[in-house]
Amino acid sequence: MKAWLFIGIVLVTGCVTVRPQERAVLADPIMQFEGDPIIAAQLHHAIDNREGSFGGQGVAGGGCGCN
Amino acid sequence: MLAATLATLAVVMPARAQLVQVDTAQGIFYEAPLRTHMFVYSPSLTVTANPSDSVGVYGGWEADVVTGASVKTKAGAAYQAVHPTTDVITTASVNDFRNVGKGGFTVKHDNTSFGAGALYGEEHDYRSISFNVMARTELFDHNTQLQADYAHNFDSVCDIVQDPNATPVGFVPLPSSVGCFTSTPTLTTNAIAIDSFQGSWSQAWTPVFQTQALYTLQVLNGFQSDPYREVVLGQGVEAQEYIPQNRTRHAITLRANYYLRGFKGAIRLGLRGYRDSWNIYSGEADLEIEKYFGTKFRAAINGRFYKQTGAIFWSDDYSGGNPPDGPKGQYWTGDRELSPFFSVMGGLKLTYEAAAAEKKVLGFMTNLRIVVAANLMDFSYDQYTLGGIPVTGAFAYLLNLGLSAGF
Repeated sequence: MKAWLFIGIVLVTGCVTVRPQERAVLADPIMQFEGDPIIAAQLHHAIDNREGSFGGQGVAGGGCGCN
Repeated sequence: MLAATLATLAVVMPARAQLVQVDTAQGIFYEAPLRTHMFVYSPSLTVTANPSDSVGVYGGWEADVVTGASVKTKAGAAYQAVHPTTDVITTASVNDFRNVGKGGFTVKHDNTSFGAGALYGEEHDYRSISFNVMARTELFDHNTQLQADYAHNFDSVCDIVQDPNATPVGFVPLPSSVGCFTSTPTLTTNAIAIDSFQGSWSQAWTPVFQTQALYTLQVLNGFQSDPYREVVLGQGVEAQEYIPQNRTRHAITLRANYYLRGFKGAIRLGLRGYRDSWNIYSGEADLEIEKYFGTKFRAAINGRFYKQTGAIFWSDDYSGGNPPDGPKGQYWTGDRELSPFFSVMGGLKLTYEAAAAEKKVLGFMTNLRIVVAANLMDFSYDQYTLGGIPVTGAFAYLLNLGLSAGF
């Protein structure tokens, strides 16, 4: 299963070519997945403590600050 | 100590494009559903230094200053109907100060990076020691990025020493955090171990389109109840919240960014699905549209919808009532976070960002970013009540300010 998944990723991504000289837009801060990562981290810290779920925001953290 | 280290690095290291990055943020959270008012102020500071092209070290601090009130005793409509003149809902004032110190490093070689870090967090009633590691590699001309993260927490929660002959129905709540983590004989600490793993695949598909897929796993083992809260279980029976010791959580997140050249802006879409061993299922959708105004200013609007089911042992009234109320086996909770609900959030964000091209920003910075964000959340609870009174107007207000500079 894992081997097929790896082969699938290689086949799919191997066909994609964004040349280095075409990466200007991708490198722009506006193309960050979470917008501003610092603000996003603060927002998710506040929201995660008031919902029953989590995920997608990294794994490092300590404590709650929620009571 | 950190400042001295960074100053030393700045002196002894040869001149480079950027040596030190400073990121600071201030956050305010306020909510006031019914009688609970919660105000949280969250400052943070992270300093990252790059003594060489392949090595980065960071240190930081963050805090939560919490004031307000929380629900101390949870009851529902069935109990309130039998005791119509009794105010069974009480609130307890909350004042806490969570401090977290963190540090770590990353090492990069060619297209592969490794990192490790540690974190120590302290509150009046909670302590956290955490270690994390990270590995990342870039493939296919940097178009594919794979990353794995793992963290382990050695946490502990303050609690009152229970009567050794008592069953959970006879457990009493912790009255306050006074004396926690001292030798007070009536208090103790309960351990909680947390293992967290995340794997991600980021992919650039075209010069203006990229996606990210993440899988997050978390396994918790230990005391996860709110030690202060008691739940009404029957006529004259109240007990400290009692929930399972083990929890396994899974989440899959998908994100996509698309840049619109004519619009000079980007659209960000995020989707997340979640389930855990307490039978909570949730879905989340995020959308953000951000646009450049000139070369340094950006404005964004964002929206978020979230919906979850309740935990399998959730009940708004364990003392009786019609389904879905009533007893739910051997566990009981008063946490609205474990009840079924949905929330809607919308907000605005303004960003000023400048990077040095030929001369430094304001004469001494390689980059500068200032961000202001404001969001409004509305929680709609399907079943959660305070003594049978539905919780309406559960708005939360979030304000964030970020400042980043490179030197």
